[in-house]
Amino acid sequence: MARLWAVIKREYLERVRTKWFIFATVFAPLLMTALLILPIWLIGKSGGTSDLSRIWILDASGVGLGARVRSELSGGLMAADTSHAQVVVVSPAKLAQAESTSTHAVMRKETNGYLVLGPRILDDTIARYAGRNASALIDVQRVGEAVRREVLAMRLEQVGVDAEKVISLTRAKRLDLQTEQIGDRGREGSGMVKYFFSFAIAFLLYTSILVYGQTVLRSVLEEKQTRVAEVVISSISTDTLLAGKVLGVGAVGLTQQILWVIMTLVLTKAREPVMRAMHLPSTPIEIPSISPFVLALLMLFFFLGFILYSALFAAVGAMVNTDQEAQQAQQPFMLLLVATVILIQPVLLNPTTKLAIGASIFPFSAPILMPVRLSLMSVPWWQLAASLASMLVMIVVAIWLASRIYRVGLLMYGKRPTLREVARWVRRA
Amino acid sequence: MTENAIEIRNVSKRYAGHVAVRDLSLLVPRGAVYGLLGPNGAGKTTTIRMLLDIIEPDTGTISVLGGSTRDRRVLDRVGYLPEERGLYRKMQVRRILKFLAELKGVRGSDADRRIVEWMERLALRTPEKDWGLSKVDELSRGMQQKVQFIGALLHDPDLVILDEPFSGLDPVNAQAMKDTVVDLKKRNKTVIFSTHLMDNAERLCDSVCIIARGEKVLDGKVSDVKASHGERSVALALDGDMTPAVRAVLADRSLVTRIDDSNRYYELELTPGADSHALLRRLVEAGAPIRRFERVQPSLHQIFLDRVGAGARAPGEDTWTPGVEAGMVGHG
Repeated sequence: MARLWAVIKREYLERVRTKWFIFATVFAPLLMTALLILPIWLIGKSGGTSDLSRIWILDASGVGLGARVRSELSGGLMAADTSHAQVVVVSPAKLAQAESTSTHAVMRKETNGYLVLGPRILDDTIARYAGRNASALIDVQRVGEAVRREVLAMRLEQVGVDAEKVISLTRAKRLDLQTEQIGDRGREGSGMVKYFFSFAIAFLLYTSILVYGQTVLRSVLEEKQTRVAEVVISSISTDTLLAGKVLGVGAVGLTQQILWVIMTLVLTKAREPVMRAMHLPSTPIEIPSISPFVLALLMLFFFLGFILYSALFAAVGAMVNTDQEAQQAQQPFMLLLVATVILIQPVLLNPTTKLAIGASIFPFSAPILMPVRLSLMSVPWWQLAASLASMLVMIVVAIWLASRIYRVGLLMYGKRPTLREVARWVRRA
Repeated sequence: MTENAIEIRNVSKRYAGHVAVRDLSLLVPRGAVYGLLGPNGAGKTTTIRMLLDIIEPDTGTISVLGGSTRDRRVLDRVGYLPEERGLYRKMQVRRILKFLAELKGVRGSDADRRIVEWMERLALRTPEKDWGLSKVDELSRGMQQKVQFIGALLHDPDLVILDEPFSGLDPVNAQAMKDTVVDLKKRNKTVIFSTHLMDNAERLCDSVCIIARGEKVLDGKVSDVKASHGERSVALALDGDMTPAVRAVLADRSLVTRIDDSNRYYELELTPGADSHALLRRLVEAGAPIRRFERVQPSLHQIFLDRVGAGARAPGEDTWTPGVEAGMVGHG
């Protein structure tokens, strides 16, 4: 056991110490976060929110809506200086002319943009905004919000609600409206988010199994190429070496994933404060809640899938002498992985089909597709059990095969063996 | 406890297409320095790998330190320097050594202490520079070899197996290697090594075994082996170049059947029945500037050529017999 531990320790520490591991582990989540925040931040930057004070409000409503919108705009969270926001009261007939004048004003940079409040705005709620910052999400959001709120208030006043009540009502109403919106978007979005989330899990599992499976292959090949293998197996059995290698590299993969999960959780928590600190509106992202049990299952599936594939990759590493040969010899197993990836989409769209059930039980696709289904629905326990059982059986077979190929192949140099020769190794070992 | 550190009995190993080792039997006494000599492809490395249970013999039995090679506890008492050297290139030297020690069951603190001792002894750790903190990549070939040598000895093995320990070493490092072997012998350890370099074997070994084409050609104590090959050899050294007259004397097959020409030094084999005094007289008459003329036991080198090279070198001929490679002629 002490020897196995020595091998595991070496494989683990030598990999975790590398700059590449630290980079991938720490910077991948940071990069993701940056990708989530940066675009919004850049939009915010280019929009120039303070310029909201330099817009014109063409008010053809005839009820003084423009002035109310201006004061509403000045009272927002990011109180912009509205002293320069001009309200131009126009008659409906002259609105078109005022608009073209304003367009020219924008072109001459006298103003940043203009808001058009039409004559029938209280009935059909159509307001228009045109300006240099029309694509600035935040500005448009704020203007829209202000108009909506004031229109609502005026409507209430029109039906005879008194001014003080209007304020309290619109505040309440506003809250109401927002929750409703979020609820709506949330329901719609939640479906999308869950879909992407499952896809992300599948992709993460696929890349992890691929990357760490190939790490095992390279590790075997390195020992073979540098001839370290001979010293090592004069001290310990090839089985111990193989087991230590697979477990050590697998532990590296698990470490990385656990760190990613933790960092994702922390970053999601920290996202809103960060966005607020940067004066950015945070559109909430909902991460589907995953129970610790399912999370543990996901890890288990990763680990079993990794062991299955890495045993096979180890056998490939022992069969070949060069990286080029390895590229060729690993094709059959790569094909199994790629076939699994092709199935991700159909399973995502409907995780209850016979294909989905079958693929999530088939040992070579189970490590990726069962977690996909688990993240989308509650999978019947018998399917879960069947999936785990089939993987365990295949793992035993793969390890049996791999350790035999490994034992003979590790000291075989020269020509790459044919399939028949490999079969002889397996029989003879 | 048996007398022998290694007992190989009737061992054969076949690979697809050829026999690597054929019915080999060997006894290596405890505490001996034992040389396994033979040309490439003779089966030396195969024999050594079977000793370490890296490969299994097809037939025959092997016992190491009185136990089976299947027993990991036996292998824990064996140190091995393979012919094909290699270390993890990107790994720190100290960490590799610790790893190798741990594979043999040495505890961490013991390993650390021994690593420092050995590194200092083999000049890998000096007041100016501690190579233990470097990556293997940064070491010269000779240094890497020393690191691997240390790796084979960290667990203080009772039996040390060195496959071609001297190949690729400069004289300073080769000397350090020899000193270590002698030191191991003093501490009653058994050392078995394979080599092409007959001079090293002759100086270091108590006993030798010469194998060729998978079969044992001869074995025994070096003194016995040499004695059994008679004293028909003459060591001849000249001051200055050989003249045609001297060359003609040496080419006389009634006096000399074989000459090993090392330019300034010649090892001659007298023709059976020929008299060494007659040869000396003829050489003096021919005006040879003799510095040394001595009847000696044949060198291992000569015996090796005799037995493995199948008596294939005629006087004055400069090419080596096929199957005997140039590495063996080194007089280093």
